[in-house]
Amino acid sequence: MEYDHDAIVIGGGPAGSTFARIAAGAGLDVLVIDKRREIGVPVRCGEGLGEGEVIKKGLDLPRQCYSTPVLGAKVIAPNGKSITWKNKDTRGWVLERKCFDKWLAELAVAKGAKVHTYTRATEVLKDAKGKPNGLKIAHGGREPYEVRAPLIVSAEGMESMMARQMGFKTVHQLYDVDTCYQYEMKPYDHENLIELYFGNKIAPRGYVWIFPKADRKANVGIGIGGNVTNGEKNGMKGADPKALLESYIEGNSQLRDASTLLDFGGVISVGAPISEFVKDNCMVIGTAAKQVDPIHGGGIAIAMETGILAGNAAVEALKKKDLSRDFLYKSYEVPWRAGLGKDLEKKLALRKVMENLGDDDMNHIFGVLNDNDLKDVMDGRFAAVVAKIVAGRPQLVGALKALLG
Amino acid sequence: MITIKHEGCILCVGCSSVCPVNAIEVIGTRMQHFPEKCIDCGICVRACPANVIRLYKGVKDPKDLPAKR
Repeated sequence: MEYDHDAIVIGGGPAGSTFARIAAGAGLDVLVIDKRREIGVPVRCGEGLGEGEVIKKGLDLPRQCYSTPVLGAKVIAPNGKSITWKNKDTRGWVLERKCFDKWLAELAVAKGAKVHTYTRATEVLKDAKGKPNGLKIAHGGREPYEVRAPLIVSAEGMESMMARQMGFKTVHQLYDVDTCYQYEMKPYDHENLIELYFGNKIAPRGYVWIFPKADRKANVGIGIGGNVTNGEKNGMKGADPKALLESYIEGNSQLRDASTLLDFGGVISVGAPISEFVKDNCMVIGTAAKQVDPIHGGGIAIAMETGILAGNAAVEALKKKDLSRDFLYKSYEVPWRAGLGKDLEKKLALRKVMENLGDDDMNHIFGVLNDNDLKDVMDGRFAAVVAKIVAGRPQLVGALKALLG
Repeated sequence: MITIKHEGCILCVGCSSVCPVNAIEVIGTRMQHFPEKCIDCGICVRACPANVIRLYKGVKDPKDLPAKR
């Protein structure tokens, strides 16, 4: 077989561009295709990213890629009581996703990767044994043509149509997604903290967030469970995040009269990763593989870490001329599940516990915890925190015991 | 089949991510529905954050949609 490239990556988001940077940097011929007309557009994300998550990957975030630095977070209980969590580990940024994604793509290009926008994969090409060996792609609605490579990487994000064609089970269940709506608003006087408002009335199985941005702006959004049925949806009952966001804004004295500068929304994964990330000659990385934090649906940091791991695995595989499922499994999937996968499992358990709490429970919990406890929870150390909570509210033992194991 | 009110769609692709039968795809700058694949489950309607999808149960062909929608 004559190949056009060593690897073709579908999707130029953080996972695909990071993979391409690593693989091209080691000398591979990598093509990245993205069906959008512009990398990073449309934005469909809250845009938060922790500082350590970039720095430990050896990258220096250029000024145009973020709107404002973030100092920490403030979580607010249904009764209004809040906990502020602010220290050197909680610093980060609210990004300008459009610039950030383009910057990551440019880093890949600088290492020799080729990126093509407005280029859509329409079909996975396979050899006689059913192993992927190329893609049919089309640029800007023109006639599709074939490109060939021994490795196909799906970094497609939520839709993951080509991953489905390669046999990966990436369809999302309503129970394991949050449906979200967000406005960029101005003016809003924030404290450079990420604000998270909890409560079953405000946001059933989710929360309202306010992410600070520069110049008195903020991303004000809501995510609620995909299986929630708060709204009338054209003749059906379903989740209507926009209606709840409107009523939150109406009740917030600062936001009530603020302007909206941008509408965006989306459906985010808050479930478990897909059951397999690799098959012969192909792999799935990032949100396409549901490698997402189930607490907040964030996937940028995980995508970048996965891009590095999978990129190095691809380099190794092509050097050894072994693109078998077994080799890719050992070099990418096994270390992923032992590392990132373990952290995300704990977050998923936490999400499932949190969705069963009533507002009274949340008020109690926020009343007894402090910022150090929050750090323990986010790091996956639950035991001491659970003990503290159930000491004052023993009826929560049942709901929280899933966290002790 | 479903209809999508394109002027309200925010192109978040949430519908295609939850569609169990790949009956909705973003093509160019709009979501496209393939009625022949649709199984009338309504999951996309429930998930859509912009509330622009309507389910027409039992309708298989766009020309059979009610004139007044």
